[in-house]
Amino acid sequence: MSDPSKDKSDELIHPVARPFLWLDAPWLKSAMIWVFGLLALAFAGVDFFHHRHEYVPFAETYGFYAWWGFASFVAAVMIGWFGIRKFLGREENYWDKESHDD
Amino acid sequence: MIEAFHIEALAHISPAWPVIIGGLIAAIIPNFTLRKALALAVPVMALVLWFNPAAPGTYGIIEFGGFTLETFRYDPLSRIWGLVFIIAAFINAIYGLHEKDRLADTMGMIYAGAGLGAVFAGDLLTLFFFWELTAISSVFLIWGSRNNAAYKAGLRYLAIHILSGVLLLAGAVIRASETGSWAFDETLSIETTGGFLIFLAFGIKCAFPLLHNWLQDAYPKATITGAVVLSAFTTKLAVYALARGYAGTDILIYIGAVMTAFPVFFAVVENDLRKVLAYSLNNQLGFMVVGVGVGTELALNGAAAHAFVHIIYKALLFMSMGAVLLRVGTVKASELGGLFKSMPATAVFCLIGAASISAFPLFSGFVAKALTLAAVAQEGHVIVWFVLIFASAGVLEHSGIKIPYFAFFAHDRGLRVREAPANMLIAMFLAAALCLWFGIFYGNLYEMLPFPEAALYYEPYTFDHIVGQMQLLLGAMFAFTLLVRFGLYPEEKRSENVDSDWVYRRFGDGALRWIWAMMDRLTAAIGNVINAVGRKLGGRMFQAFSPIGALSRDIPSGLLAIWTSALLAIVLLIAYLAP
Repeated sequence: MSDPSKDKSDELIHPVARPFLWLDAPWLKSAMIWVFGLLALAFAGVDFFHHRHEYVPFAETYGFYAWWGFASFVAAVMIGWFGIRKFLGREENYWDKESHDD
Repeated sequence: MIEAFHIEALAHISPAWPVIIGGLIAAIIPNFTLRKALALAVPVMALVLWFNPAAPGTYGIIEFGGFTLETFRYDPLSRIWGLVFIIAAFINAIYGLHEKDRLADTMGMIYAGAGLGAVFAGDLLTLFFFWELTAISSVFLIWGSRNNAAYKAGLRYLAIHILSGVLLLAGAVIRASETGSWAFDETLSIETTGGFLIFLAFGIKCAFPLLHNWLQDAYPKATITGAVVLSAFTTKLAVYALARGYAGTDILIYIGAVMTAFPVFFAVVENDLRKVLAYSLNNQLGFMVVGVGVGTELALNGAAAHAFVHIIYKALLFMSMGAVLLRVGTVKASELGGLFKSMPATAVFCLIGAASISAFPLFSGFVAKALTLAAVAQEGHVIVWFVLIFASAGVLEHSGIKIPYFAFFAHDRGLRVREAPANMLIAMFLAAALCLWFGIFYGNLYEMLPFPEAALYYEPYTFDHIVGQMQLLLGAMFAFTLLVRFGLYPEEKRSENVDSDWVYRRFGDGALRWIWAMMDRLTAAIGNVINAVGRKLGGRMFQAFSPIGALSRDIPSGLLAIWTSALLAIVLLIAYLAP
């Protein structure tokens, strides 16, 4: 995160982007947890008032997609981190010192 | 179906030809503006030819060397693939307008034309011709980067794709020898030798698991425009080929399910954002392959719809990363961040591509993916359905969040660059507009599908579907914010993750080098033995027969030679005179 007050004096920032510099504000990162968490809960809460009809019966359980999405995301990140990176991760020049951006 | 107009004189010309011929002409045009005008004109010509046929049927039949080549099979399946290839060729041409590379212009057009030719091919020989042409022309889009890594990756890419072509031809020949048919249709079967080889050929191009790594190896090393062009044609051509020949083949359901899931894990920790997109491409192909495997009308509609919208939103994502690469010089996530301050329009277009691929309501991915998921559930493939729902959250992780977040937001690295060139922004705008258009006016997409009645019967925007999808996306996004907040999201760092290419790039290469060295040593050892035996035998012979040898001790060897000659002459004389 950069200093917003410094950004305002940064003439190289695109004029269209100037009204949106708050997107880089530190508070936004914490706020997004609440925004997404509450929205996920709200959509999951709909299931308590409305019965979703699904082809797969298990998917009709309350808030199924919300917790499945949450669990899938966490599983994907953890398996990638502790599975792929730990066992298959190598130094950048592993392949004959090739670099994609050369 | 869109109403067609008809010009009889053009009825037998496949939309592939103007694009390929345009590419050949571009090769001899030194003028940059003329070449670019041609690149924009040929997709329009192809579109005219696409609209032209009065009715579905086989046109453009060529009799050649005793074979009947069907160059323009126009039916609902080839029609939708052909259209999206033409759209992609046009948008790609706009995106590459700034690029002054005659070879890239030429090969880009020939490649797009070859893709169209393969889609409209009605027999396996015609398919083979265009199949190989896609491989040979597209490799120049990788080599166009003009660095050693791209050169080597291009060679690997070419070798693998030529192998695919060889398998296709071998399978076609075996099948023709058994059945007398060169037909490229639903009569193909993996239960015959020929059919299996053709299936394998399609599988290589479709990047089946363990056959997939040419994609992640080559695409990130292609030129900026090259990667966008490559993302459109090769793999989707393979999905088309599978849909044409192997719809309803059960094993495709499981192959596709694996394809959707495993790239997710690699993409999480991949630092090169164009490589992340290559893994994401693999994941998306998986959905299409599952659809083909299920093989019902709804599922095939799902595969076709997914291929159509995917070509556009994937191109959009590659275009946005191409713009970043052009301006910043890298697409390594560890080096990027905060670019929305410099490239706001590119950031917005990237977000639209990300929302589309993640299947947010109102975006094109939502209306396409829904068809496949519904078909899988309807047919009772419950475990596969769960895998696909997992993979949907995975798509959000790598393409929906990781790509835009690490490039345009995350840590501001102080990169202050110019916005992308106007032509790139126009191309991205068109692709983004199509993502929204087909997401909102999904009827326009559904009516073009292979089974439009079945598609129009399906309603994607039901309350249940929207609620379920929003639960999934918000649950996953909540997980992301939580993991980042508590430092549980892996940091982006410069690294390389080995994949199945390790088998041939490291193990295979090492094994070959070892075998070569062993052969060298074996040859030397055999040579030494032969020399030693020769020397020993020669020594013995010398000791026996030389002028100073044992046999010359009593009689001089010269006299013995005269007597030997005389005896030989007598024997020959007797043999000649004998009756």
